[in-house]
Amino acid sequence: MQRKLIIIAGLLFGSFYSGIVNAQQTALLPDQNPRYMESQRKYAMGADSLNSLHGTTIQNTYKAYDWYEAKLERRRQNREWRHQERMNGYYDYTPSWGLYGNYYPSVSLGYSWGNRWGGGYGNRWGGGYGGRWGGRSNIGIGVGFGW
Amino acid sequence: MKFNKILTVAAIAVSGMLIASCSRQVTRVSTDQTIDVSGSWNNSDSRMAADELTGKILGANWISTHQEEHQGKKPVVIVGFVQNKSHEHIDAETFIKDIESSFIQTQKVRLVQGGKKRDELRAEKEDQQTNATVSSMKKFGLENGADYILQGSINSIVDAHKRQKVVYYQVNLELTNIQTNEVVWIGEKKIAKYVKN
Repeated sequence: MQRKLIIIAGLLFGSFYSGIVNAQQTALLPDQNPRYMESQRKYAMGADSLNSLHGTTIQNTYKAYDWYEAKLERRRQNREWRHQERMNGYYDYTPSWGLYGNYYPSVSLGYSWGNRWGGGYGNRWGGGYGGRWGGRSNIGIGVGFGW
Repeated sequence: MKFNKILTVAAIAVSGMLIASCSRQVTRVSTDQTIDVSGSWNNSDSRMAADELTGKILGANWISTHQEEHQGKKPVVIVGFVQNKSHEHIDAETFIKDIESSFIQTQKVRLVQGGKKRDELRAEKEDQQTNATVSSMKKFGLENGADYILQGSINSIVDAHKRQKVVYYQVNLELTNIQTNEVVWIGEKKIAKYVKN
């Protein structure tokens, strides 16, 4: 009796296994890679996010160096800086082509008028504080340490 | 009195000139007209790319090859993404849409929707499952699968010195068989511009 049961169980297992193998073989097309499911599982994860980009342009641009554009950009930047300095009440009119790299400390007495030109002179000759106070008030007198 | 008259006329003339010089002028122009303002990528470049690539893709033999292999069925194409690797912001949709339009108009190629628009379609279908009448409700799982995907890239080279600049654009489109990964068609449009500031 026990022997019969073992034989029946063995037959059932065999038929079940052969059925699985057969099903796998019929699911595969000729020459199809039997491990295709591994790839399918891998791409199932990111398919939605990738497919949402269909029909769009992915902007992966670079900045090309353009001599003329760079010059215009430098000018714009300088204007911006000068504007910021003026807004802060400090403006240095010292030319960029000055001697000794514009680094010559001097102590001087100065005065400045409240307009933009007065503010400038106050800076240059009277030092930083002269320009600063002159720039903010109508008439200013400054003593400064400038370079 | 005479002086006052002269002053009035002069004031009117000056104000007229000021108004004329400050007013903005807008003129409608033909979309086929080439107007280069800054030297950057513009509508003329897009149009030229569209014209050339449309002619090439519809004239190539991948369509007939597909029909021979599939009992005369028209190929189904989906548009993938285009990578802009140039130095300017360029939206490829301006010329890709022209190519898509030519597919529909010539009836040589069938087009299926992709991306966000496809998501929207599926969302609408989902909505119909609970809100539309049974007879008008559209079913899931009956979409047309694309045979080919159209992908592309835009590249550029800039050679600039002082006030002179030469810009070269290359637009590439590729059509690939989705089943086999085989590239069946490649089209390109090259544009070179000399810009002097």
